[in-house]
Amino acid sequence: MAQVLVVDDSSTVRNEVCDFLKANGLTVVPAVDGKDGLDKLKANSSIKLVVSDVNMPNMDGLTMAEKIRGELKNSSVNIIMLTTENSPAMKERGKAAGIKGWIVKPFNGAAVIGSLKKLIA
Amino acid sequence: MNSNKMVVSKVLVLDGAGLPPDSLKAFCEECGLVAIKPQQGDADSVMTILKSNVDLGGILLHENYGGKTGQGLELARAIHASRPELPLFLRRDAVSSVAGLAEQDAAMFRCAYTLADLQLLKATLEASIFSRVYPNDLVRGITEITRGALQPLFRECDIDVETPYLVKDRIIYGEVFTMMAIDSHWCRGYMMLQAAEEAMMALISREAGIDEGETMTFRELNNVLGEATNLAWGAFKSRYVSQDVNRCQCQTQVPIIINHQRRYISFGSEDPQLCIKYTLRERNRPDVAPVPLFQRFVFNLNWSPDEFRENPTVESLVESGELELF
Repeated sequence: MAQVLVVDDSSTVRNEVCDFLKANGLTVVPAVDGKDGLDKLKANSSIKLVVSDVNMPNMDGLTMAEKIRGELKNSSVNIIMLTTENSPAMKERGKAAGIKGWIVKPFNGAAVIGSLKKLIA
Repeated sequence: MNSNKMVVSKVLVLDGAGLPPDSLKAFCEECGLVAIKPQQGDADSVMTILKSNVDLGGILLHENYGGKTGQGLELARAIHASRPELPLFLRRDAVSSVAGLAEQDAAMFRCAYTLADLQLLKATLEASIFSRVYPNDLVRGITEITRGALQPLFRECDIDVETPYLVKDRIIYGEVFTMMAIDSHWCRGYMMLQAAEEAMMALISREAGIDEGETMTFRELNNVLGEATNLAWGAFKSRYVSQDVNRCQCQTQVPIIINHQRRYISFGSEDPQLCIKYTLRERNRPDVAPVPLFQRFVFNLNWSPDEFRENPTVESLVESGELELF
């Protein structure tokens, strides 16, 4: 079954997103930063979607996305950023790393759940 | 930040009764403020002035302005509703305090004074006319984005913002505070949120639906305040930090000194910090004491308000919280 990797250093946001996705029938894997997220993605081929913060300790979300594309070349995982960042430059960097979408915090699950489900279908 | 980065501020004087001509004007000049008076003193004219003078620093108001008892207070309510960030100073005839005013009315004023104690007013003006240091547009924007950051985390609360003010002390309010660096071409320093642990933890427990007797650790409080800081910081960055300016990466830093016993933090600068108090009131629990949260800004590493710009709004069909697909 397809799983969603939720990467955020804030447990408030991580729990909120995980709880929401679980309540909507999805299986989630939480990670506390980009490094943790990358390790969990490498170890779990069932993950089909990554929802990740940008600003995190140890490894930021965009670096993680770049590494996913660089190190896991065959991975078909879709990556969505969930962040307070809203600058065009950041988004451009994300696009270059092959991310599929951008959500500016705060998280509004009801508004995005349909799109997220399509991305793991 | 230093004295040559102080902005000349205008104050609106809604007074006149029993005053020697130009006495308040002279007082304002002594305080480094420019006093302006409306040509017509009726409420509509005053409200028009407020709309066309967005850069006002504050208002000196007589309690009976307009000629009738209580008319000044009525006008104060309208002003406060329209421009809640503007500091109001109430001149009273008998007492130098807000004694006798309803609690909500009293909360509108930074201080009350009589003509006999203008020195008290002078000290309060110094601490309250934040527009001498921090642009009005910036302060208004900060209060908007911070309320926007707090509301999703405190869904059961109404969030009031008191009139911002300046502080020179370095005392930390409460036991918990967050700090996040702000770095742009026109300002470099820190944003802080400060709160009392017990009251804030109790509020967060109730927000999370945790029953009394169940435990909640201080780490959960840290997480919520951390996220509030992150959301406010992100919104600040989107709105005020230019994305296309290349800045030198080898920037200066100074030591930050914290003394836990004295609840003291020094950024190595005497410059006034911008302080904004938010009050979180639980909508369905009027009997529970509101919880204060203090936000402070200190731009100790660079302060160039003349270069302050709001980023142009990028028209977008995507709202916060929604997914923008690439």
